[in-house]
Amino acid sequence: MKPDALRGHLDALLLATLDGKQLHGYAIIEALQQHSGGALDLPTGTVYPALRRLERAGHVTSDWSTVGGRKRRTYKLTPTGQKALHAERNAWREFTTVIDGVLGGGGKWAQT
Amino acid sequence: MGTDVIDRYVTDLGSRLQGSKKQVRDLITETRDSLEDATEAHLEQGLTETEARKKAVEEFGPVKEIANEYQAELAVAYGTRTLIWLAIILPLMHMAWEYGRMLLIGPWQDFGTPPPSWYLFIAKANDLTSGVASGVALVALVLGRILARKYDTKLLAKLAAAIALLAVGVVLLGNVAILVATAHLDVSRLMQSLPMSIASLISWTVIIRLGLLARRCLSCATIVG
Repeated sequence: MKPDALRGHLDALLLATLDGKQLHGYAIIEALQQHSGGALDLPTGTVYPALRRLERAGHVTSDWSTVGGRKRRTYKLTPTGQKALHAERNAWREFTTVIDGVLGGGGKWAQT
Repeated sequence: MGTDVIDRYVTDLGSRLQGSKKQVRDLITETRDSLEDATEAHLEQGLTETEARKKAVEEFGPVKEIANEYQAELAVAYGTRTLIWLAIILPLMHMAWEYGRMLLIGPWQDFGTPPPSWYLFIAKANDLTSGVASGVALVALVLGRILARKYDTKLLAKLAAAIALLAVGVVLLGNVAILVATAHLDVSRLMQSLPMSIASLISWTVIIRLGLLARRCLSCATIVG
């Protein structure tokens, strides 16, 4: 999947990846790639500014801790982030329902 | 001898960033960790050390593009920090100065003839500037948090810098105006109390320091491409 198509959804993808977990940057990247079957082809460096943006919005918090002998910044969702994820999931469901109605097999566009 | 591809990438990235030293250091540490993690993952997949490190850097993204995104975040963080300082320091400084004046000099009316109306207007306007500038900084901080995901980070960084500069500019203007007006009315009032002269000097130092912070905000925000 192209990076430009993903950028608009990166915040939601990161929130979903952190749902119920506390992860460091590369673990988040690995989880994103794993869940997408390797289809998410985004420069990994763009994840870090996005995480800072989410932190600025109060959706995630971060802490430095030593993991495996290396100092790592780990991220987790805040209650506000949990609500934002819920809203993102609802918005996505509505969006896909609408688009699927048009582009999917049963719509009037498909029959023309 | 050579620095390897990760060292070169991290050094290049660091040289392009401007902001709080701690924040830059944090981002660079995180970047290096990520590149080392990616290298380990590629080694486990059977690549050689050199190939793994090269692939990790390639996946991270072109240094110019990544530096641009990092810089936008650093600029917003610097702007936020400066606005916090403005929101806290300006009213405190004004209250401390006024409290000191009341203790050491007393009300202006105690100096014989009451000041003319134009002077009182400037004095009242100057009294308001710190509160207004602090309020604007506070509102900008709240809006910045609400709009963090809705607006482009680069735009928010530039707005924060502009608001910080404007706030300091207004306070500076108010202080210059009252200084000039007092000198015009009765220059001896400027030097009638040594402790108050020292307090004024401290106020000016703080305003100049805040002005430099606001100027650096703009510098951080405008090097973003």
